[in-house]
Amino acid sequence: MFFKIIDKESIVDLYAGLAAEYDEVTGPKTSPKDPRYVKFGKIRDASQLRLDYKTSIVPPKKYFLAADERLMRYDRTTGEVYDTEPPLQTRALIGVHPCDINAILMLDDIFLNEFEDPYYKVYRENTFIVGVSCMPSPTCTCNSFGADEVHRGFDLFLSDLGDRWFVSVRSVKAAAIVDRYLDAREVTADDTRAFQERTKRFKKALPKRMDLDQLPLLYDAKYDYPLWEDIGKDCLSCGACSVVCPCCYCFDVRDTLSADGRVGKRHRVWDSCLASEFAEVAHNHNFRPKAADRVRYRFYHKFVGNFTRNGKMLCVGCGRCTTACKAFIDPQRIVKALESEDTPASAGTRKGGGAQ
Amino acid sequence: MTENTPAIATADTYKRLGANPYRPWPARITSIQQLTPKEKLFELRIIDASVRDAFRHTAGQFVELSIFGVGEAPISISSAPSKQGFIELCIREAGTVTSAMHRMRAGDIVGLRGPFGRGFPFDEMRGHDILLVAGGLGIAPLKSLINHIHDERHEFGKVTILLGARSPKEILFRQEFDMWRHREDFDLQMTVDIPDDDWDGEVGLVTKLFDALEVDPENTYGAICGPPVMYRFVVAEMRKKDLDVDRIYVSFERRMKCGIGKCCHCGVGHKYACIDGPVFSYWEAMNLKEAM
Amino acid sequence: MTDANALNQASCPRVVVLSLASDFGCQIQITNFPELLAMVGTIDLSYWQLATSADMPDSYDVAVIEGAVTLDEHVRLLQQVRKTAGVVIAIGACAVTGGVPGLVGTGDLDTARDLVYGEDATIVKQHRLVPAPVSSVIEVDYRVPGCPIDPAEFSALLQQALLGARERLDRTPLCAACQTIENPCFWLRGKACLGLVTRTGCGALCLSRDRACTGCRGIAADANLESARRYLREGGFDVKAFDKALEVYNTYEVNEVARS
Repeated sequence: MFFKIIDKESIVDLYAGLAAEYDEVTGPKTSPKDPRYVKFGKIRDASQLRLDYKTSIVPPKKYFLAADERLMRYDRTTGEVYDTEPPLQTRALIGVHPCDINAILMLDDIFLNEFEDPYYKVYRENTFIVGVSCMPSPTCTCNSFGADEVHRGFDLFLSDLGDRWFVSVRSVKAAAIVDRYLDAREVTADDTRAFQERTKRFKKALPKRMDLDQLPLLYDAKYDYPLWEDIGKDCLSCGACSVVCPCCYCFDVRDTLSADGRVGKRHRVWDSCLASEFAEVAHNHNFRPKAADRVRYRFYHKFVGNFTRNGKMLCVGCGRCTTACKAFIDPQRIVKALESEDTPASAGTRKGGGAQ
Repeated sequence: MTENTPAIATADTYKRLGANPYRPWPARITSIQQLTPKEKLFELRIIDASVRDAFRHTAGQFVELSIFGVGEAPISISSAPSKQGFIELCIREAGTVTSAMHRMRAGDIVGLRGPFGRGFPFDEMRGHDILLVAGGLGIAPLKSLINHIHDERHEFGKVTILLGARSPKEILFRQEFDMWRHREDFDLQMTVDIPDDDWDGEVGLVTKLFDALEVDPENTYGAICGPPVMYRFVVAEMRKKDLDVDRIYVSFERRMKCGIGKCCHCGVGHKYACIDGPVFSYWEAMNLKEAM
Repeated sequence: MTDANALNQASCPRVVVLSLASDFGCQIQITNFPELLAMVGTIDLSYWQLATSADMPDSYDVAVIEGAVTLDEHVRLLQQVRKTAGVVIAIGACAVTGGVPGLVGTGDLDTARDLVYGEDATIVKQHRLVPAPVSSVIEVDYRVPGCPIDPAEFSALLQQALLGARERLDRTPLCAACQTIENPCFWLRGKACLGLVTRTGCGALCLSRDRACTGCRGIAADANLESARRYLREGGFDVKAFDKALEVYNTYEVNEVARS
């Protein structure tokens, strides 16, 4: 990795370069429905980019694990399966926050392990990622999950130094882009000092770190505590949290047929383990019949399951669920509920954390 | 405790073929046998010869069955690994896919993916006594194990099979098992909850069959599959006979959708039934939340 | 109970489409769907109340029913249909949840009759029932909720029925689908929206056009009304208005819950 400095305005050149090299450029832009919201979408002009955004409704995971991905087509009469490859389109993804890059790295552990997911792999290999620095929002807890910093998982990273960008160049592809399209200069001692200052300001603005060292153990120990019933009573089973979570990745598979029934398509669509159907098997036996069972499982998977398997908790503290959940259930509340001194009946009460 | 790694594991066939693990292979239904009013035994043959040859399974593994236009469902393989070229699936009409499967006829085409998951540790079991307990449809994956043991009968000590069903009409593979009751090399006992006039076997829960059972705990492996409520009670009986926790194996039914540990539908505690199971040692299972 | 075998033998299943109390909107919706023509080869549309003047045939395989049950005559008709058809499909909010006709159930039936029919109320008095969904009278194999239905959803479901696949009706509320297409949440913008408790499956169609959900697909099986009301109360929203809005399509269910 090496570092460069570019002017604030050079973002136009970066966009032009990426637009020339990649089939599609996507990034954070204003929601057409309400200017207070930002979502990742196709960028047609550099001026659309909102690199100072707080957060997006849905994380950029949608570019690697699409909300609705066609896995294949088939002929129902012959059983012939075809079109099993995802579209070979290259994409530059500009403006990804450190938390979301860390989340992508977690998805890599799952989708690029010994059982490789061919769709995810193609998207991952064909996406150029430009990270961007941010300042914490009130809902952010990235530092508790070690997701406030990122050292890999991107090609280029832009740190905002006010009137200029401090650019971290990580990949060969990124070096070529810088070389070809950007009027970049060397980093001076002043720039480095400014970069350190920025980092300090960022760190200072972060909330107090939660101590999660005990969390997996505590979770196992309190698995049957009444706190879950309490939280379960609140859960709306809507699954909005799973949608907006950059680390949630579960999916369902659905088939659709052409009107004449001859050919069909198989899709995978985002799912949520909070749906009652999720762990149901034939003859209606449900391994998690109550909302309380399902909330408990969702966070168990995040804090214990994946931690045991891949050594990471499936949360980057991005705060999206804190905003999306109308029942005020979020990681902070779970952590607080698990850490509370037990009069079990009062643990996990509403607004234990995360309520805005 | 060592986690057993079988010779053939999830998605091995796909790795061997370099294929997309979500891609089902067209297979033809070669025969259908109505076993009970709700269950049929389907014999399938993968159409592509190279895939057919690459497809090798161990007892306890499962496939994802595709009904094109409807979807997929995980089904355990009932046939023995030695039955090359054909795959037998015992299917109860219960869900979306299985009800559509029951409408299929011989000659129709379905899709298969797999085999997936970790089966019974057959090599480890060799040379020992075996105690198999099946309740209801739980016989489906155990049938593969029974058939495999049958193929290599001389490699095993005493083999005991305890079968439980709700009524005599609901006993799966009954004709075959009725004949087995008179064999000397297998001790096969059956019990039903609700007998009919012709029933001459035991009446009551399958745990009842343990009373008169003689087990050599130093030398016996247990294998259990049945409805979710059954495990705890059968494990307790096996423990009473002093079987080690890591010599009792349970096969779990979960909603495996992808088969390769991605979709999360079959999560049990911190494991996935599709890649870590569906066969777990009781030691593993007792340490998994919501397992039993 | 689905008689799968009856369907199995029929190479071209005979389908009838009939209406109870409704505005025929869902039937019209089906005619608006060109893809359905492609299906005509695979089914035999024996009887279509809206499009034919002929009498309903004595035998058929699939009955598609639109509308709420509001007359005792409907009850008899449905019982006959259930005996005849292998597969019964209820389409539209009226047939699935009681729908808008169900609103009568918010008050007293006699008062409503007097209000609507005035002096003629006595004529209809003996035959009127509190509006109810089809499933309250007979077993329904498949349901297509919505007001009006999405014809694509209907044709896809009809295909599933013909393949013998069991019904797989969505159970969760709409929020996940709405967030997936990144609609800024109505509630967070201070506006009421029934998507919080309404059955998903419509793709958040109204919300994408910046209209709040009105609950036409019915209350989701997984919905948590108590928690939703708590959220409203704590957020300073009008809980009574929420419950009132919920009644438009869900009076029957709301009353059922109150009774149980």
